[in-house]
Amino acid sequence: MPSNGSSSGAAVWAILRKECRSEWRTRYGLNAALLFAITTLTSVSFAVGRLTDRTDMLSALLWVVLLFAALASLSHAFVREVEGHTLTLLRLVASPTAIALGKLLFNLLFLAVIEAVTVPLYLALMGAPPPRWGAFLALLGLGSLALACATTLVGAVISQTRGRGALFAGVSLPLLLPILAASVSGTRAQWLGGAIGPEARLLAAYAAALLAVSLVLYDHVWED
Amino acid sequence: MALPAAGPGVAVACEVHDLSHRYGRRTGLEPVSFALQGPGVAAVTGPNGVGKSTLLRILAGLLRPQRGASALSVAGRPIGPSERRCWVGYASPELSFYDELSSEENLRFAAETRGLAEPGAAAGAALARVGLASRAADRVAALSSGMKQRLRLAFALLHRPPVLLLDEPGSHMDEEGRVMLAGVVDRERRTGLVLIATNEEREWRLAEQRIELRGRGLGHPA
Repeated sequence: MPSNGSSSGAAVWAILRKECRSEWRTRYGLNAALLFAITTLTSVSFAVGRLTDRTDMLSALLWVVLLFAALASLSHAFVREVEGHTLTLLRLVASPTAIALGKLLFNLLFLAVIEAVTVPLYLALMGAPPPRWGAFLALLGLGSLALACATTLVGAVISQTRGRGALFAGVSLPLLLPILAASVSGTRAQWLGGAIGPEARLLAAYAAALLAVSLVLYDHVWED
Repeated sequence: MALPAAGPGVAVACEVHDLSHRYGRRTGLEPVSFALQGPGVAAVTGPNGVGKSTLLRILAGLLRPQRGASALSVAGRPIGPSERRCWVGYASPELSFYDELSSEENLRFAAETRGLAEPGAAAGAALARVGLASRAADRVAALSSGMKQRLRLAFALLHRPPVLLLDEPGSHMDEEGRVMLAGVVDRERRTGLVLIATNEEREWRLAEQRIELRGRGLGHPA
């Protein structure tokens, strides 16, 4: 009996579970990301010691480590499908929007796992002052959402191009800079006792805009 | 929107008018026109590079042709390119599976993503039809080329589609596999339209209609 293709929620959920299972079995991105985060934090800790009173450095370091730890895996969400020749299978069973949303949720989950390991280690090794947890977690969540939206969108667009490595860097740079700037600024503000409202609103609006653009574009991304 | 269910002997019509495609400067498919009615089996034959696979990719909705149009209808309902994946079973050498997952996990994933009611049962039934039930738990990376070809066929049959598009379906298969393939095609010819792209005489002889692509824009039912 042909499926009617209307159960896009089920398709997104199935794709998310498949991504988790594939990642768990291959550890394609997880090991590399954790290795990068742990070695970077350890090296910086040995080199400069604790940065308790340098909230500017602490904020920048947190987001640089998170970005570079996760970037290789985030950008390869679609490239792996192209290089493994499995994109045809995916296109035959799900709509482009369901595929992209499944990948986006996986990227978000991947970032959350990286953060669950990296952030406690960072707070301990860098001697960061105790954060205001509500504001700190809100910034982490919104920054991660915006990062995942941007990298998923760029990954989908460049996946079938030649020279996609160089293209990813070129296309994602202008999309990632506002996210990093707002996240670093907001993280510093929460340590200084300031308001994080402007940065949080900016990140939320940016993520919403990227998601909206993505939903419009995804249906046309893989048309040959 | 409710879709008509495919059932025994469902009427399928496939009409292609002046269809052609280019990959950059290279011709992928020269203009071709034909009309087919199902239930039944048709074969697409022609020299290497003439566009057999391109034609099937267009009919499956995977490729948008640069010129011309293809129309597909099931039980009188037109099926647009964007919804063909729900109605078409597609197997081709370019179709790859996730090496790190087992045969059953790959098909179960496809069944879940397609929204089938009982994904596990559908995957098991499809594997049994192609003689892969005993290798269901084996990871795809451990399968031979012939077994991967059987898995492609199982993937195409998974959602019991009224239209089957099979690109070189017998490649890498042993004698037992080819007999199984002939049996599958024989059963499917009664329920829908089967289109086989091949140059293997044994495969195109399974068809009662044949479309010969000659690379001169003269494709037609022979």
